[in-house]
Amino acid sequence: MIPLVSNLAPLVCALLLAVTGAGKLFGRQTAQLAANTVLVRVLNDGRRATLALRTVGGVELALAAALLASPEALLPGVGTAVLGAGFTGYLAYARATAPESSCGCSAAAEGPIGVRSFARAGLVAAGGVAAAGADAAWWSQLTRRPGGSALVLAAAAVLLLCASADLDHVWLLPLRKARIKVFGNPLPSAAGERVPVAATVQLLENSLAWQTAMPVVRSALLDHWDDEGWRVLRYAGSYRDARGTHPVSVLFALDLTLTVDTAPNPAVRVSLIDEETEEVVPSSVLTPVPVRTALPLAT
Amino acid sequence: MSHSQESGGRRLDRRRFLTTAAVGGATIVGASALGGLDAEAAFAEPMDSLDTAIPAAFAEGRVVAMNRNVLDVAGSHGERYLIQLTNATSIWKLRTTTAESIEVGDGLYARGAAMPDGTIAADAVWVNIVNVYVTIRGIAKDRLHLTHGNEELVGHIVPDTTTASYLGGALTADLSRTRIGQEAQVLGAWRPADGNIDIARVSLGH
Repeated sequence: MIPLVSNLAPLVCALLLAVTGAGKLFGRQTAQLAANTVLVRVLNDGRRATLALRTVGGVELALAAALLASPEALLPGVGTAVLGAGFTGYLAYARATAPESSCGCSAAAEGPIGVRSFARAGLVAAGGVAAAGADAAWWSQLTRRPGGSALVLAAAAVLLLCASADLDHVWLLPLRKARIKVFGNPLPSAAGERVPVAATVQLLENSLAWQTAMPVVRSALLDHWDDEGWRVLRYAGSYRDARGTHPVSVLFALDLTLTVDTAPNPAVRVSLIDEETEEVVPSSVLTPVPVRTALPLAT
Repeated sequence: MSHSQESGGRRLDRRRFLTTAAVGGATIVGASALGGLDAEAAFAEPMDSLDTAIPAAFAEGRVVAMNRNVLDVAGSHGERYLIQLTNATSIWKLRTTTAESIEVGDGLYARGAAMPDGTIAADAVWVNIVNVYVTIRGIAKDRLHLTHGNEELVGHIVPDTTTASYLGGALTADLSRTRIGQEAQVLGAWRPADGNIDIARVSLGH
């Protein structure tokens, strides 16, 4: 099994490096990609970062060609392992100094450095070590043990797919969708459950009562509780009269079973309690919203 | 919350008193329409102060220190704010909560009135609030996997708190109508520890 893996490692590494190397060397977005990596800061210049990224792409391509052409040689395998170790070091440095920067590793997708980036770099290093230990060419291995080779290649492909975000839309999303189709949506359906407080707040904020009390209300929702079929929402507010400005509690009481779907025009009880005297403030301090008069229609 | 038995009892008594006032002698107003002052209002223009002599103030930044009810906040552009919390200050951190839940390192938006001594007397504080447009990439029992642009995010579902709105309808605890691939607007609280989000509200199909 081990010789089989190590004899096929040059092929797997070569294919991976060819794809990522070509993407970096010839890709149109390399400059844009480089701009988001930590290389810009290290090299002090966007153009130099692009050049560095393209050079790495060239090295990857050269290694891929060497791995494909002379799989039994030690050097290409060692080179790949060193490259993988270099990627890991670069990622660790970037992660430590600029965690939000893009890794620039696989050319197609941008994204912050995460577990998958490290997994990819680790795979390159491990693949290089395995390739260095190859004692037979991959093509002779393929013809000698086609079944085992197919299995190893398939396993390598799955491993690389899992470590790369570029092809998620091809396999991961359909897989997740299928799981939801088969097992149902795992999130709560909450049929017949109580109305969330946020829904009552939404109902209040769509009401004329809110519009009327708005000039008095100063805070966002301060407190809420349910009592005898009512949901009471408390806000802080203040109002002015001849004696000055007074702090008040603005209380709204709504039917706790209603939402904007079931009650487009809810009745809302509004009251103001003076915070200092604890007395109910007459509702005349509220400014009624003028009823809109219909525009005359031309006939 | 660090309420003693006694203060918990007082709190209930106070609610009882306020309920009687709210349901008993209240003005009843019926019918519809206009804006709000919920969590989304954190992103709206500040309101004018009621007292025209006191200018309205707005602050945004990270909490660097807390001293009793004064928050020392470092703004994103090098400003420094001292924010005074009072018992009339509403505090939102995923849900309506109290000053005890604010921690050093939290981000916040605050609005209130600028005081003559340079502090801000806060009317409302929103802690770690985020409002992002995302695509749903995965659904699990207690979280949504989301992408915001090229960035991957995990949105945690918080029982009794996370709500959803479909096609502009009422907010509901029913989250089972979410679909992979849908575009969504997520309002929630950012978690400084791991950079993920606790979801307050997910709006779908707007």
